[in-house]
Amino acid sequence: MKKVGKPVFFIVVLLIAVIGWLTVFGVSSQYGDITTKTIKSVEDIRWGIDIRGGVDVTFAPAGGIDATEEEMKEAESLIALRLVNLNITDSELYTDYNKDRIILRFPWKADETDFNAEAAVEELGSMANLTFREGFEYDADGKPAGTTLEKIVLTGADVLSAEAVYTTDQSGNTTNMIQLKLKDSGREKFAEATGRLIGQQISIWMDDTVLSAPYVQEQIVDGVAQISGSFDAESAVALANRINAGALPFALETESFSTISPTLGLGAKNAMILAGAIAFVIVALIMIVFYRVPGFVAVLALAGQVLLMIASLTGFFTVFPAFTLTLPGIAGIILAIGFGVDANIITAERIKEELANGRSLDAAIDLGFKNASSAIIDGNVTVIIVAIVLLGAFGPTDSLFARILSPLFAVFGQAVAGMIYSFGYTLLVGVILNLVMGVFASRLMLKSISRFAAFRNPALYGGGEQA
Amino acid sequence: MKRKWNFDFYKNRKKYFIVSIALVVLTLAGTVLFGVERDVQFKGGVLLTYAYTGDVDADAFAAVAKETLGADVALQQSTDLATGRQNFVLSLTDSSTVDAAGQSALTAALAANFPQSGLELVSSNVVDATIGSEFFAKSITAVAFAAVLMILYISWRFRRINGWSAGLTSVVALLHDLMIVFAAFVWFRFLINANFIAAALTIIGYSLNDTIVIYDRIRENERVLGKNVPLEELVNRSVNQSFSRSLMTSVTTCSAMAIVSIVAYLYHVTSILSFSVPMLFGMISGFYSSVCIAPMLWTVWQKKRAEQKKKA
Repeated sequence: MKKVGKPVFFIVVLLIAVIGWLTVFGVSSQYGDITTKTIKSVEDIRWGIDIRGGVDVTFAPAGGIDATEEEMKEAESLIALRLVNLNITDSELYTDYNKDRIILRFPWKADETDFNAEAAVEELGSMANLTFREGFEYDADGKPAGTTLEKIVLTGADVLSAEAVYTTDQSGNTTNMIQLKLKDSGREKFAEATGRLIGQQISIWMDDTVLSAPYVQEQIVDGVAQISGSFDAESAVALANRINAGALPFALETESFSTISPTLGLGAKNAMILAGAIAFVIVALIMIVFYRVPGFVAVLALAGQVLLMIASLTGFFTVFPAFTLTLPGIAGIILAIGFGVDANIITAERIKEELANGRSLDAAIDLGFKNASSAIIDGNVTVIIVAIVLLGAFGPTDSLFARILSPLFAVFGQAVAGMIYSFGYTLLVGVILNLVMGVFASRLMLKSISRFAAFRNPALYGGGEQA
Repeated sequence: MKRKWNFDFYKNRKKYFIVSIALVVLTLAGTVLFGVERDVQFKGGVLLTYAYTGDVDADAFAAVAKETLGADVALQQSTDLATGRQNFVLSLTDSSTVDAAGQSALTAALAANFPQSGLELVSSNVVDATIGSEFFAKSITAVAFAAVLMILYISWRFRRINGWSAGLTSVVALLHDLMIVFAAFVWFRFLINANFIAAALTIIGYSLNDTIVIYDRIRENERVLGKNVPLEELVNRSVNQSFSRSLMTSVTTCSAMAIVSIVAYLYHVTSILSFSVPMLFGMISGFYSSVCIAPMLWTVWQKKRAEQKKKA
């Protein structure tokens, strides 16, 4: 990188400004009443429940039952269904199969005033109430009514298993169905009902939500039935899971449960934003006062780093999906910015030294970056190691780093540490961006700006001081 | 930084070692004397925070809670200056009595007994004891594992200046800094929680980075000057050359962290304060240990090695 043209400085600054603008305001198009967000803005950052307030709960089978992986999957699908019924759409739900735990986090909704978290959690974990009911009558709320309310054919206790199956006919069309097997206790009841109700519906309910309402085509005497309809493979599996969940022999109890009120968290968020803004201004002043031109370039690079980090949280880039930002996540951002400051200071000091050694401005800048690089890279790589270990230790069990490190951490199960995961993520992204902005972009900008006559004086780079 | 630094760090090495050992001993003594408490996240238990307005009798409040839950509770009072509201913090050591149903029953009973207080559950934390200790053990394992990987990386990168001693001495400096972070938790009576892990991990990053920058300079000078200068001069010169950077980086990052601490203190955001204050301690310690401890230990080690070689 011997020659860098004069316009490069402005191109880099313009790029930072454009990315900054897009990150902060996003891009949305209005079509009638519908606003479509092509690029998400700062408003779309998903704040963690420690900031927004919300509920963090860990479920485990009640009474210390050792559940199978299948059962845990069914239990998870049961909770997912109930979340939809409670109108909780923004949630994180995952299952730790080693430790038989289901971890659920969901934030308060923006307009929520008196959501009863305890009641919701109680309902989410309660024993599944699966029923097969006669007919398909329901009231205005979609709850069973009339005959359907009164006449229960089977309950979850009568179900042995449900399984998604498919058949392929001669022309190659696949039909997805659910194969239902009943226990002895249910066989006769089902044979009687299906005999009586041929041509009519038997509806399947989880709690007060209808799962399916198939028509009876023939009497089923052997306790093995097929439910067919317009299923695709996915919806067939989902229905089978839900029916199985109704047959789960256990309720879920809460092993750990925390709620944070939105007022508490929002105060913390505003304080952090204020602190971040003041800290940035102070750091910028220190950099410009002590390092002048390199300091000024460093501030631009830091601003770029911060904006790109925000962009990587909003889901701006498709490679980084939208990420939940928690307080430790903000700490990770601060640490990464610290590394950005450090990279620029190391370089600026090296440039100063080379000027003191009597080198020309261009040679000093070249050598400064060259000499600084090994220290910056070694420092950043060690932090990347820390970040990756954290992502592996505290991330979702199916993520890449977690799989690599699973032999080490499998014994511990997936603990209540989504917040530390957030720290690892912002740290990793931040340090990588530091290498892009603090090293590469700074270098382009500094080499370019140093070609302008107004910025040729070595004193602006700390030269002539140590002599 | 206007001047060239010229400290004789090597000559003063014993003073630095004594200061550091004294700090570590003081911290350990403080831990033994005052103890540290693990937060419910780590030890399991229940922590419920209720906000109220007006006057509420704490004893009566605790009595209602005790009766409803059928278990002993500890009660603490605190004031949130930001909102002007009073808080009651209820804690229990056993999490089994307070599931979601128990919690709503408790809130209902308290609200019924103190109808004028505008009672509101601000936060609740119920953690099963096994999950708590598991999280703690997992955190420690993560830190230890990360430390091993970093020693390996540093040993390889600094093989030119006898990597193993570089790796190990930088980890000694690191442990020293972690001890200072821990000291902040002891002195300020912060609970050991996820913040401790986050601060510890952040300081691992900072501390090693500080040390690496100086070892990088030793590595570079060793290449340029070779064996022409005595070891202590090589080290002194390297530390002095990178001293401006060490100082400036510490000044900027520490002032940023100090601002975060002040704002968190003014707004009473303990969750941030118990992160930023230990961080500040660790950053100052990281500056000190990377300049005064790690390179000096490394030099002493190299000298011992050279002596042994002579004898052999």
